[in-house]
Amino acid sequence: MTTIAPPMPRPGPAEWLLATDHKRTAARLAVAAFGFFVASGVLALLMRSELAQPGLQIVSTDTYNQLFTMHGSGMIYLVVTPLALAVGLYFVPLQIGAADVVAPRLTAFAFWLYLGGGLTMFSGFLTSTGAGKDGWTAYYPLSGEQASPGPGMDMWIIGVALAVAAMTIVAVTILLTLIRQRAPGMDMTRLSPFSWSMFFTSTMTVTSFPVLVVAMGLLLADRNLGAVFDTPGGPATYQHLFWFYGHPVVYIMFFPFLGIVADVVATFSRRRLFGYPLLIISLFAFTGLSMSVWAHHMFATGQVNNSYYSLTSTALAIPAGVEYFDVIATMIGGVILLRTPMLFALGFLALFLIGGLTGIIVGSPPLDYHVHDSYFVVAHFHYTLFGGSLMGAFAGAYYWFPKVTGAMLREGLGKLNFALLFVGVNLTFFPMFLLGYDGMPRRVADYSPSAGFTGNNRLATIGAYVIALGIAVFVANVVVSLRSRRAAGDDPWEGQTLEWATSSPPPRLNFNGLPPIRSHAPLLDLRERAEEGKR
Amino acid sequence: MALALETNRQDFQGLFTLYMIIAGVVAALVLGTMAYAIIRYRRRDGATAKEVRGLKPLEGAWIAVIAVIVVVLLVSTFRTEDRVVAISGDPAQTVRVHAFQWGWRFAYPGTGIAITGNRRRLPTLVMPAEVPVRIELTSRDVIHSFWVPELRFKRDAFPDRTTTFDLVVDPGVTTTGRCAEFCGLDHDNMDFQVVSMPQSEFERWLRSHERRSASGGAA
Repeated sequence: MTTIAPPMPRPGPAEWLLATDHKRTAARLAVAAFGFFVASGVLALLMRSELAQPGLQIVSTDTYNQLFTMHGSGMIYLVVTPLALAVGLYFVPLQIGAADVVAPRLTAFAFWLYLGGGLTMFSGFLTSTGAGKDGWTAYYPLSGEQASPGPGMDMWIIGVALAVAAMTIVAVTILLTLIRQRAPGMDMTRLSPFSWSMFFTSTMTVTSFPVLVVAMGLLLADRNLGAVFDTPGGPATYQHLFWFYGHPVVYIMFFPFLGIVADVVATFSRRRLFGYPLLIISLFAFTGLSMSVWAHHMFATGQVNNSYYSLTSTALAIPAGVEYFDVIATMIGGVILLRTPMLFALGFLALFLIGGLTGIIVGSPPLDYHVHDSYFVVAHFHYTLFGGSLMGAFAGAYYWFPKVTGAMLREGLGKLNFALLFVGVNLTFFPMFLLGYDGMPRRVADYSPSAGFTGNNRLATIGAYVIALGIAVFVANVVVSLRSRRAAGDDPWEGQTLEWATSSPPPRLNFNGLPPIRSHAPLLDLRERAEEGKR
Repeated sequence: MALALETNRQDFQGLFTLYMIIAGVVAALVLGTMAYAIIRYRRRDGATAKEVRGLKPLEGAWIAVIAVIVVVLLVSTFRTEDRVVAISGDPAQTVRVHAFQWGWRFAYPGTGIAITGNRRRLPTLVMPAEVPVRIELTSRDVIHSFWVPELRFKRDAFPDRTTTFDLVVDPGVTTTGRCAEFCGLDHDNMDFQVVSMPQSEFERWLRSHERRSASGGAA
C-alpha cells in the first residue's frame, strides 16, 4: 500500500477546530503548545539580553520577575507537558491498533480548558500590576495577597489550575485507551517502548496532577477568602503539595521523549530494541520511585528527612542506567542510519546524560546546600528539559511529521536545525553550571560587575540566540516542506510499529486492516519473514 | 583544640570532588560507547543487523556497578550530612539572623549588638573562626535563604519558624552572602558581608561594639 498522494482531504477550519478525532485534538494541542513555546522562548531571549551585561538595560526588575515566572510557567505548564501528552494522544492509538481513544469528546474539551488556561495566564501581562511574578513555583507567603497583590497573580493561579486539570483529562484518556482499546493480539507485553512510556507517563499524571489543582484552589482561597497557609507549617505544606506534583512532572516531561528515542534508535539501527522486558521493568521502577522523591527540592528548608529523599533520588540512577544500556546496546550490531530523527535521538542521549549526572549531584543534600537555587540548578534542569525533552521532541517531530502530514521534512535543513540546537544548548547552559557554582543565584535581574559573572553570562546570551536561530530553521523547514511537498508514503523509515502500517496521514478511523501482531515490533516481524521467504 | 573542626567548605569540597570524579568516569564511558557504536556500526553496503553476543551478562554487570556506585555515593553523602547538620553542645557564639524584604539583621544575644542593613548599607555578619557558630535563622515576611557561596552552604529562612544550624569558617574570610530564595522585587539586591576573625580578635570586636550599643549608638 504505497500511496503517492495522501488520500485524506485537507481539513477545513471548522474541522480543524471542532473535530473530536484524537489526531485532530492532538494536532491542536501540539500546535498551541508550539505557540506557547515561541512566546515563552521570546521571554527567555529578553531575559538573556538583560543578563548579557551587569546593570539594568532593557527591562525593570519588576518586569524581569514577570519574564522568568512566565517563561518557566509557560514552558512547564503549557509547552513540554502538553506536547508530551499530545504526542501520546496522537500515536498511542496508532501504535496499539485502535480506531480512536476512549472519550474523544471529553479529550477535545480538555484542549479548550488548556487553551483557556494558557491565555488566562498570559493575559496577566495586560493588567496594571502585570503577570504572575513569583516564579513557576509561587511559594507561599510570597504568593499571598499581602506580598503579591493584583489580579495578574490570581489569573496565573487560575491559568495553572485549568491547564493542569486539562492535562489530567488527556492522561486519563491515554491510560484508559491503552488498557481498553488495544487491537487483538496487542497484549500489554507487546506494546512499543513509546506506548509503554505513555502508560507510565499517564499513570504519574493521574496520580500527581490533581494535587496541584487542589494546591492552586487553596492558594486562590488564601488570597481571596482568608488564611489557608498562613499557619505554623503552612509555607512548608504548600511546598509539599507543590512538589508532590512538581517532581513527578519532571519525569512526565521526560518519559515520552525517552520512549520516542527508544523507538527512533531501534528504527534507525534496523534492529529491535535490546532488553525490552528489563527496559519496561526499569520504567516501572522509575515510576514508583518518582512518587517518593519530591522533597529533594526542599533539602535547604531543614524541614524534611533529607536522607530519605536523597536515598530515593540517588536510587533513580539504577533504572536510568538500564535505560541507557538498552538504548545504546540496540545500536551495537545494528546498521545505523544518521538521519535527522536519529541525530536528535543521539543528541538527547548525550545532553540528558549531563542533566542526569548533575541531577545525582543535586540529589546529595550537602552538595545541594551550595548549589540549590543557584544557576547550577538552572543549568541542570535545562540540560534535562531542553537537552533532553526538547531534543527528544524534535526527534519525534522529524520521525513522525511524514506520518501526520504525508510529507517529508527536508534533511539538509533538519541537520542544520540539529547542529544549531546542539551547539546552542551547550553554549547557553554549560556556563550556567560555572555561574551557579561561583555563587550566582537564580531569578535575579542583575548582578554586580565585580562578582565575576559577566563572561559566562555573555556566553549564555550568545547561546540563547543560536537556539533561537535553530528554532527559526525548524519553522522554515516546516513551511518549505508543506509548501513543496515530497510525498512520504506509508513507511518512509522502515518503521517497526503499527503506525507505519497505515496511510500518511492515517484515515479517520486509523486503519483499513492490521498486520498480525506477535511482538512489540510487528512490522519488523513482517519484513524479516519476507526476507526469509526470499531465501 | 585537639581536633580540628572541618569547615563547611571542606565538608562540601571533599564530597563534591568524589561526585565529580564518578560523574566524569560514567560520562566518558557512556559517550565513548555511543561514539564507538556510531562509528563501528554506521551503515555500510550489504551490512545487516545482527545480534551481538555477551551483551546480556554485560547488562547485569553494569547494573551491579551502578548499584555499587549508588551505595558509595549515599554512604559518603550520609557521613558528610551528619557532620554538616550536627549541632554543637557548646557553640562559641550564637547569632540570631532575621531576614526581611529586603535586608538582614544579625543580633548577638546577651550583648545588645544588632547589625541591620539593606542594599544601601550592607550589613556585616562577624564570626569567630575555627569554632562552631550557632545561627538561629528566621524571617519577618516571606521565605528567604541565607547563602554564603564561599562557605558552600545555605539554609532557608521561614517566617513561621526558627531554623538552627552551626557554621565553621576559616579565619581571615571576607566574602559576600546572598539571599538565594526568590523573595520579591529587591531579591537581587539582598546581599550581606561576612567577616571572620580569630576568636581573640572577635572577643575584642564584641567588647568594643557592646560598649557602643550600650551608649545608645547601636550599629
